[in-house]
Amino acid sequence: MLCGYGGHILRVDLTSGWTHREKTDPAYMLNVIGGRGLNSTRLYEELQRDCDPLTPENMLLIGVWPLTGTLLSASAFMTISGKSPPTGILGDSAAGGFFGAELKQAGYDQVLMTGRCQKPSYLYIADDCIEIRDASHLWGKDIWQTTATIRKDLNDNAVQVAAIGPAGENLVKYATVACNNSRMCGRTGMGCLFGSKHLKAVAVRGRGRLTVADSLGYLNLCRELDHKIMTHPEYEKRNSLGSTLLMTALNGIGILPTDHFQQGLCDYVDRVSGETLAEKFKVKNKSCFNCNLHCSRYYLTGEVEAEGPEFETLCSYTSRIGNNNLEFGLKMNAFLNRMGLDSLSSGETIGWAMECVQRGLLTKDDFDGLDFTWGNCQTIEKLLGMIIRREGIGDLFAEGTRSLARHFGKGSAEYAFHVKGLDMICGDPRGIKAFGLTYAIASRGGGHLRAEPFFELTERYDEAERRWGMRDIADRLSDNGKAILVEHTERQALLTDCLTMCKNIGLSMDLLDFDFASRLLTAGTGLKFTPEKVNEALKGIIDRDRKMNIDFGVTAAQDTLPRRFTHEPLKEGASKGQVVPVGRLVKEYYKARGWDAQGVPQD
Amino acid sequence: MITLDLARCSGCSRCEVNCSFFHSGKIGRSGARIKVVKVEDIGIDYPLVCQQCSECYCTRCPEKAIQIGSLGQIIVSPTLCTACGTCEILCPIGAIELYEEIPLVCDLCGGDPRCIMACTLDAIHYECDVTAAVSLREFKKASRGLGPEEKRLRYATIRSRELRDSWAAGRRG
Repeated sequence: MLCGYGGHILRVDLTSGWTHREKTDPAYMLNVIGGRGLNSTRLYEELQRDCDPLTPENMLLIGVWPLTGTLLSASAFMTISGKSPPTGILGDSAAGGFFGAELKQAGYDQVLMTGRCQKPSYLYIADDCIEIRDASHLWGKDIWQTTATIRKDLNDNAVQVAAIGPAGENLVKYATVACNNSRMCGRTGMGCLFGSKHLKAVAVRGRGRLTVADSLGYLNLCRELDHKIMTHPEYEKRNSLGSTLLMTALNGIGILPTDHFQQGLCDYVDRVSGETLAEKFKVKNKSCFNCNLHCSRYYLTGEVEAEGPEFETLCSYTSRIGNNNLEFGLKMNAFLNRMGLDSLSSGETIGWAMECVQRGLLTKDDFDGLDFTWGNCQTIEKLLGMIIRREGIGDLFAEGTRSLARHFGKGSAEYAFHVKGLDMICGDPRGIKAFGLTYAIASRGGGHLRAEPFFELTERYDEAERRWGMRDIADRLSDNGKAILVEHTERQALLTDCLTMCKNIGLSMDLLDFDFASRLLTAGTGLKFTPEKVNEALKGIIDRDRKMNIDFGVTAAQDTLPRRFTHEPLKEGASKGQVVPVGRLVKEYYKARGWDAQGVPQD
Repeated sequence: MITLDLARCSGCSRCEVNCSFFHSGKIGRSGARIKVVKVEDIGIDYPLVCQQCSECYCTRCPEKAIQIGSLGQIIVSPTLCTACGTCEILCPIGAIELYEEIPLVCDLCGGDPRCIMACTLDAIHYECDVTAAVSLREFKKASRGLGPEEKRLRYATIRSRELRDSWAAGRRG
């Protein structure tokens, strides 16, 4: 029997209700591993390239990896993929929580959905029983209500639910899917894809148990990783603050996006930092399945209570839009989680509008009378409601910053910070060059998670010398060797995704290398995942992603950054005077990757 | 018995995973004898396990297949058990549940519980004192007719009220 893997692939045609369970093919899995690699290979093979993302032809895939739901720490993630509604290119998004493990225990490695439900529905998977159930009573409900209602309807609190909120129903382009209420699959509009298929949720209950091929060997490897996590120098800090530790850290190196990237220093950072959040509002740690870092937090404020926020949300709703009121940021986090709206993209649309108003390009009259002065909480709150309902000006904002700037023109496009249509993350690339390159070449658009070259922030010069023979790689301000670093960490990041493991641990804490991963995979699945085989699979997946994106219309000209980051040096702080020489870095990257000068993979 | 420091639990389910693995070599919530109940809308994660209650409800087994061991743990006889499910019905908190026709309940791993070792937040503890029995009488009546998952949810919700109150007092005054 197949160990590690769930053992089945589920295909569902939502239009006709046809479902089919097929056995997972080990030979196929050796080339794609699982998770994101499995999903994007499936898209590469089966997706009709010219389909509109919101039509029934688009595919919706949920994938997990061979070792999700087992003993391994932080192996909690699942990846949702499809053609992205906001960008029109490859879209995928991962989230932790408990859904992935439950899907695995139900016996699945991947769920492929096509078509569109006739009426609002949700997919219920209970081991080998698959049912498309009516969700009319759930339509219009927020994510927390939906999750609770499904559990109540099924009379089972252990059911795991991945659901969308009103934003997804109303086809807001950057709507999210949430599991465990607060674990968001954000960014590429997978919630919008759910909504376009009239799919309110996927609920899963697995009563099976997983086996691994070599129990003792696997146990020892897991213990080894546990030990590395527990003794990591950043353990205490990451355990108490999670990713919100970056607020203070990024401000310290002068790259905390402030007033929509006009500055890299925020003078009120102490009021909105992760430390303040922990001190004033946190009540306890939260965690994903089987993780021993426990980096998430549950908080209570005067008005709301919720889990989170992670750094990107915290920064998007504080310094990036000029808001110094932490409690308001936390309130918005809870609101966005309920409604299923992406915090980065919604934050970018707000930041863009505020900067355009500051520069006099656009005025109140362009925005239904809303007053976009920096940090105006009333405007933000009102606008978010309008976006979710697609009311008035909110209808335009719901399309994302790229299309918003195209609509208004008047030079406002220069301040729309996206790459390939996906809004930029928080972390000013001018002071972290390898990250800048990552945003430019990432196959889903402006994000850091495709490579997360956190190594350049660690100042481990000797380690850089040992690994790549270049000390400069450990210097965040240097451009030297950054293409080599990104080429390496891109594979490492994909490996983490294929293993649907947490990037905080696999990458930021630098605990996962190819050799260790291959030993884990071999012990877990019993298949011959040699380090060479793993590397070959990873390279194959990156090339296929690129080829698919080229089919979707991506060209080398789009592998770049918004003008601010390449031409306007930072004015103060520890990254003063820096810009990203993105053109040169991208060329070096193509070469390191073995692609031609136009970024086309060579067979 | 296994005791809980609820405020520390993050709900990671490492106890559950390790319990299942060390009992069967397989991993899954269904095979675990300690189960983390997640009451998500109030932020509570409650690892629920046999409390070795003073009433010993499950020992009223019609086949006399359930006995109490020297550590206070529940011992199910595989030869006498007919998988009738009475124990599952009798337990007021859902700590014993049939899986693949075997009643699964905490056996304290012979005095060295794996779940305790797996917890990195120090949220669960093992106390050897078998006389410190807990009464579950107050949960019994309203648990009638509920399935194990519902009983666990009910127990966790009631048991977490105190912690919820302390959060509210600390953060909202």
